[in-house]
Amino acid sequence: MIPSKPFLCFITDESLPPVELARQALEGGALMIQLRHKCATGAELYRWSVEIQALCRRHHAVFIVNDRVDIAIAAGADGVHLGQQDLPAAAARKLLGPDRIIGVSVSSPGEASDAQKEGADYLGFGHIFHTSSKEKPAAPVGPEAILSIRAATSLPVLAIGGITLQNAPDTLRCKASGIAVIRAISRAAKPEEAARDLVTLLQHDH
Amino acid sequence: MYVKSGCQASEAPERAAVRPVAAASPSLKSMNMKNSSGQERRAPSPEITVATLPRICMVSSGSEQKDSADSLLLRQIALLPPALPCMVQIREKQLDAAAMFRLCLAARQRTEGTRTLLFLNERADIAAAAGLDGVHLQESSCPPEKLGSLADGLLKGRSVHSLESARQTVQGGVDYLVFGPVFDTPSKRPYGAPQGLGQLRTVCRAVSIPVFAIGGINPDNAASCLEEGAYGIATLSLFTDTRKLPELLETLGQMLRP
Repeated sequence: MIPSKPFLCFITDESLPPVELARQALEGGALMIQLRHKCATGAELYRWSVEIQALCRRHHAVFIVNDRVDIAIAAGADGVHLGQQDLPAAAARKLLGPDRIIGVSVSSPGEASDAQKEGADYLGFGHIFHTSSKEKPAAPVGPEAILSIRAATSLPVLAIGGITLQNAPDTLRCKASGIAVIRAISRAAKPEEAARDLVTLLQHDH
Repeated sequence: MYVKSGCQASEAPERAAVRPVAAASPSLKSMNMKNSSGQERRAPSPEITVATLPRICMVSSGSEQKDSADSLLLRQIALLPPALPCMVQIREKQLDAAAMFRLCLAARQRTEGTRTLLFLNERADIAAAAGLDGVHLQESSCPPEKLGSLADGLLKGRSVHSLESARQTVQGGVDYLVFGPVFDTPSKRPYGAPQGLGQLRTVCRAVSIPVFAIGGINPDNAASCLEEGAYGIATLSLFTDTRKLPELLETLGQMLRP
């Protein structure tokens, strides 16, 4: 189940081992973990997924695998997150059945309503602020753009891209359903505390 | 010709009999076209509900461009002779999943009503979504026995590079193995030194499912692989020159006739 109140999603850092950081994010109160390692082998992704899924169960959090529907099914993950360059959501839905969660990355209201028609359960939207996590040629969309996505669909919208303790309130003010971060946790001196601070903010700002 | 007793090679029906047949080769018995939730999945090639594996496996070049109008793979597929069943392993790691899915759909469309079996490297999800016949896994892929319902309608193959790996893979439940590199070839150097015909024979004797020899296979040495117990041959570089492809397939087809 996707949390109904503003929540924290931790997306694993491509260049760091994912399981321990996922554990710390969960200890800090993250309610969704997305495993995203484009360069890992299928065997690695499967092994990590089994471990992170077990951790998520223990913390009543949702476990999502980026791109790889096969790994999500093999490891019994709660769902997948699909970019626009991944398998179409409609095709993924046929493989996953009605119960598993499908998240889709969108960059416009049009893509958002398309994703909903194709069977998405939540949307990722960004990048909201400047970020160095991914190569993003485009300029940040800014928090106000979240409102246009919210207007185009009834799905929860996760704000992503350069979100910090300082600017997270702006995304909530613009009706983000939650925030997704990589480096705000993975590159923090104390990842668990960084996650906890973000979660506290999400709870109190609401 | 040496044929290991109990091996697929000695039991496989004539290739001309690749049609709906009651007597499936043993490793393919489990093939069915519904997944565990009972959801109907389109049988990729309607007249090949239960088929024996072809003996020639064409591995795609790895040079497909995203959504290119000129696809070497699709040109190769168009040249496969109707009388000679082939497996095609689509191995295009450079493509993103969406482009790979579209390439698979295009390949599927072009093999409609033929005896060509389409396999996708690594991604059982995309293979199933595109209605392909199977998935081809590497030693570094998700363990085949973990794919669960996703693989119900798919044949499963796996590349192995040692006897130990071959034995373990068979226990995990796959339909065929690809073993190599048997001979030296540039594309297979990352997978270690050539294993030679002796090691091919050892692997073929140790397992009861079809083994395809890969790595430097050509019309001059293909027969020697079969003599060591290989069920068939797999090649990438041999088939990239589409001008020579029809003649090559004709030669290999003659050679691989049981």
